[in-house]
This record gives sequence, C-alpha cells and structure tokens, in this order.
Amino acid sequence: MGLDSGTHTLGPGDGTLTVLTGKGGAAAKAGHNLVIEVTRWSAKVEVEEGISMALMADPRSLRVVDGSGGISPLGDEEKQGIKQTIDEEVLKGLPIRFRSSSVHAAGSRLDVQGELELMKVRHPIEFALNVGDDGRLTGSAMVKQTDWKMKPFSALFGTLKVADVVEVTIDALIPAVAPVGERHG
Amino acid sequence: MVELDHTFSTGKPTDYNWDAILDLDRIIPCVEGGKVIERESPSLAKAEIKVKMGAMSMTFRGTVEVVERDDDAHRAVLQVKSKDVGGQGYANADVAFTLSDGGGDIHTAAQINGKAASMGEGVVSSVLDALINDFTTKLAKI
Repeated sequence: MGLDSGTHTLGPGDGTLTVLTGKGGAAAKAGHNLVIEVTRWSAKVEVEEGISMALMADPRSLRVVDGSGGISPLGDEEKQGIKQTIDEEVLKGLPIRFRSSSVHAAGSRLDVQGELELMKVRHPIEFALNVGDDGRLTGSAMVKQTDWKMKPFSALFGTLKVADVVEVTIDALIPAVAPVGERHG
Repeated sequence: MVELDHTFSTGKPTDYNWDAILDLDRIIPCVEGGKVIERESPSLAKAEIKVKMGAMSMTFRGTVEVVERDDDAHRAVLQVKSKDVGGQGYANADVAFTLSDGGGDIHTAAQINGKAASMGEGVVSSVLDALINDFTTKLAKI
C-alpha cells in the first residue's frame, strides 16, 4: 500500500470528489442521472501507528458536469439551475464534514468507519477505499439522504424524485509527505 | 387520450363553487404554474402553464374556454388548447366539472403530444393525476 507515515493533505488539485445521483418516481423518465463534482474540498490522511481520515467539502462548490437520461439533454442553463437548487433547497450552504472513527487496513484495502455531518445532522457511515502502490486513492460511499433527515428533492408534484441513496466517489493521488526540510520551506 | 376522474371538496355552497370555477381569473392560477395572460371574454382567456421538472421546465401557452355550461345541473366544461412553447408538442384537455353541495367531480380528458408525451402514456397519466390532485387542494381554498 502506497501510504507513507505522516500527514497527507489532499484537495481538488490531487483528484476528484464526485456525487452520483439517480432518480425515481412515476415520472423518473423525465429526470436525469447526475454527475456532480465537488470543486472545493480538503482531506487529511494521517498515518502513524494507525490511520485516521478527515474530509471537509464546501457545500456551495457542487457543479453538475454531466446528466444522462431525461426527455432532453441537459444544457448549461439547466446545469446552473440544478446548482442553484442544490445551494438553495438541498444543502443550503451547511457544512459537510467527515471524520473517521476507525480505519482498518488489509493489503491495499481500507475499511473506514466514521461520522458524516450533513445538514447539521451527524450519522455513522462506513465505506471501503483502495490505495494503490502508486498512492492512488479510490472508492465510494453510499449516502442515504433520509439517514441525515434530508428529504430527497422532488419535482412534478412528487412524481419525479432524486433517489434517496447517492454515491460519493473519490479518485485522487495521495501526495507524498513532504520531507521535514521542505515542510518549513 | 388520458382520462382521469377526481373529486374535490370546498365545504362551500354550490352557488359559490359554481361562480368560482367559471371565473377564469380565479381558477387558472389554481393549476400549479398556471397564469392568465389575457382575459378575452368572460368565458375565454389566453393562458399559460409552466411545468417544472427539476431544472428543466416546459411551458404550454394557449386558451382556456368555457365551452359548455348548464346552470341548472351545475355542469361546465372548460376546454384547454395549448402548444409547447419552443417545441412542436401540444396539450389539450376537456375538463368537466359537475358540482354538488360542498364540492364536486372533475372528469379530465387530455391529449398530449410532443416531448412530454415521449415519457409514455403511463407517465403522462401519473403526472397529470398528481397535477389535478394538487389543483383540487387549491380549489378547496378558492
């Protein structure tokens, strides 16, 4: 596993943090499956005797990069409209924070347990990540919105709904821990 | 053709409800996203409805006309003829109201074509059903 001892700090310059949403309801055909990128986030991976992880994401930094399905393609105006809806009606600018409570390493696999704060609600979450020999961190977590007391967004009089479970994926290259001399410039 | 039946309740006398459903300036805004553009006569209005589908929306513009009215039986038919603004589709409907004391029945016969219809008749029927249910809750407060 490509994780040196020390503190590794990651952000958008090191990879992508992405939210994938599905759709449901009688009029699901009218909606789009969305690929939403979190454009401002930071994560910290601390490797000492054990491993701990923390992540913060800016709730106003989500940007729709793709949408599939629907009765017509998503244009830039619609993508901007979704971002506005996320900002004003879904996440409302409230903090998104994760902190691990335990990280179990087995080969290249990390089984992570911790607590995610969304919409001022903290709820346990667990997921698996993979760290390649080259330091590439990949994996995904399934977030069931109602576990955080969120009401999945709906339209068309409730016949078109965002699926309750959204998938959050990370694909980033963990930067090497800077040598002591470099850390202090 | 999609045909749907609904009931509504206002708790108000039949005469009050009769005046309300025949007043296009009052009844058209009871449809979510609906508004009167121009009242051409007591029984005819230019109107539009904007249907929001999350980030996407479709606007239908056309006329709403009282094409049948039986004051004794308290039965009226409102005919909607509209076109999809910026598209090729249309949405037409005959909405028949039959009033009784405190509320009434609504029978809707709708024909929808174009982009909206591409979702399939089952989906159109579900959305229309939800739209009319929402309409009936607003009618209750008219």
